[in-house]
Amino acid sequence: MSGIFEYNGGSIVGMKGKNCIAMACDRRFGQQMSTITTNYQKVFKIQDNILLALSGLNTDIHTFYALMEKEINLYNLKENRKMKPTTFANLVASALYERRFGPFFVTPIVAGLENGKPILATYDSIGCKSDLDDFQVGGTGGNYIYGACEAFFKPDMSPEELEEVIGQSLVSGCDRDALSGWGGVVYVLTEQKLTVKILKTKQT
Amino acid sequence: MIDFDPSSFGLAHTYQKEDKDEINTLALPSAPQVIYKTLNGPTQVNGGNKLNNFKHGTTTLGFVFKEGILLAVDSRASMGSFLSSEQVRKVIEINEYLLGTMAGGAADCQYWLAYLANHCRTYELKNGSKLSVAAASKFLQGILIGYRNSGLSMGCMIAGTDTTGQHLYYIDNDGMRLKGDIFSVGSGSTYAYGVLDNHYRYEMSLNEAVELGIRAIYHATHRDTASGGVVRVYHIHQNGWTKVHDGIDVVDLHYQFAQQKGLVGDGDEAKQRLF
Repeated sequence: MSGIFEYNGGSIVGMKGKNCIAMACDRRFGQQMSTITTNYQKVFKIQDNILLALSGLNTDIHTFYALMEKEINLYNLKENRKMKPTTFANLVASALYERRFGPFFVTPIVAGLENGKPILATYDSIGCKSDLDDFQVGGTGGNYIYGACEAFFKPDMSPEELEEVIGQSLVSGCDRDALSGWGGVVYVLTEQKLTVKILKTKQT
Repeated sequence: MIDFDPSSFGLAHTYQKEDKDEINTLALPSAPQVIYKTLNGPTQVNGGNKLNNFKHGTTTLGFVFKEGILLAVDSRASMGSFLSSEQVRKVIEINEYLLGTMAGGAADCQYWLAYLANHCRTYELKNGSKLSVAAASKFLQGILIGYRNSGLSMGCMIAGTDTTGQHLYYIDNDGMRLKGDIFSVGSGSTYAYGVLDNHYRYEMSLNEAVELGIRAIYHATHRDTASGGVVRVYHIHQNGWTKVHDGIDVVDLHYQFAQQKGLVGDGDEAKQRLF
């Protein structure tokens, strides 16, 4: 359990559906083997149609989120318009590369809806963007969630189906990871609304 | 007349240094090294500098009370942060009157406790009487001292009954053997001790003791990532041992205990929604 990415633990997952996107994260905030709280927020609403999920070192999750909040607020003030999800996805990549030689220890996932079309992008900690996949994972439980995703995912799911699938994938994945879990939250974003659901999971 | 002596620096300027104030310094012996011994890790000299010791990723506990001895254990096995099993049996049934708990290397515990079982049976056949708990634990200690520094990892409790009553011993791979009334071993032991020390009384009834054991293990599984799965409870009394609970899911316990307090148990008890 050494390594700066394993210090706090935590897992995130993002999925595309039919004109909708979903994000899910666990709720654990720990320090190595000890659990401190079970209500830590890892998915943030940047804009009505953009969600940012972060996993990795919790202090950097908080700082990077605050940095992105600042960027989008300044953009809104300067350009007097909302930011497009694809633009934000690019912004995250350059913000990460700006710290190429002293990086933020986070692996972000950006999800959004641009004119009804779902956008999903993931990055490594220094800003390499990958936006071609239908689902992406991050965090210490990522690999276990991949397995569940591959089994349950199918393209163009409805928001209700997507919520079910992403919730199950997160929970099964986190159940095999000692450093993730202790609750789960699922966010489903459609053109009309954002639904937030708290999952009843193992608290161990 | 004030003698401005550097050794009186910091004293009020009206202080007159007098002869009787001379202090003879003694030559003190050099401080001995502090040997830091915990139940959860290897012997560390001068406190060591390990952040965390993951060797014994588990929670096991045992305590003596008026009805005998209660043992409670979790059932999680982890390889680093990967959970390899949630259904491990950490109480090893050595024979009908001796139990051993497992912490550390599963293979080491299983093998050497089986070896101990063999030894106990041989002794019984040769001598016509059962081996005492003290002797059985001492035998195991002897083996582990022989394998010291060779990398064995064991933090087990030997609990049993013999003609002198019920006894609880803690044995580990460093060759430590301690007789005691309350022990908790493993990475979750600190959490279990908190609960155990709070409510332990020698005069507890069996039901109270079982409740306490379950609760202590549950709290450890909630906070410690290397503990979880199910709680298994054993009771040792003058006629041997009884398996009280074979596996209570700690997830069910969490929501049960939360409900008893009138809460939901989902992490938002302070009603501070962060989103």
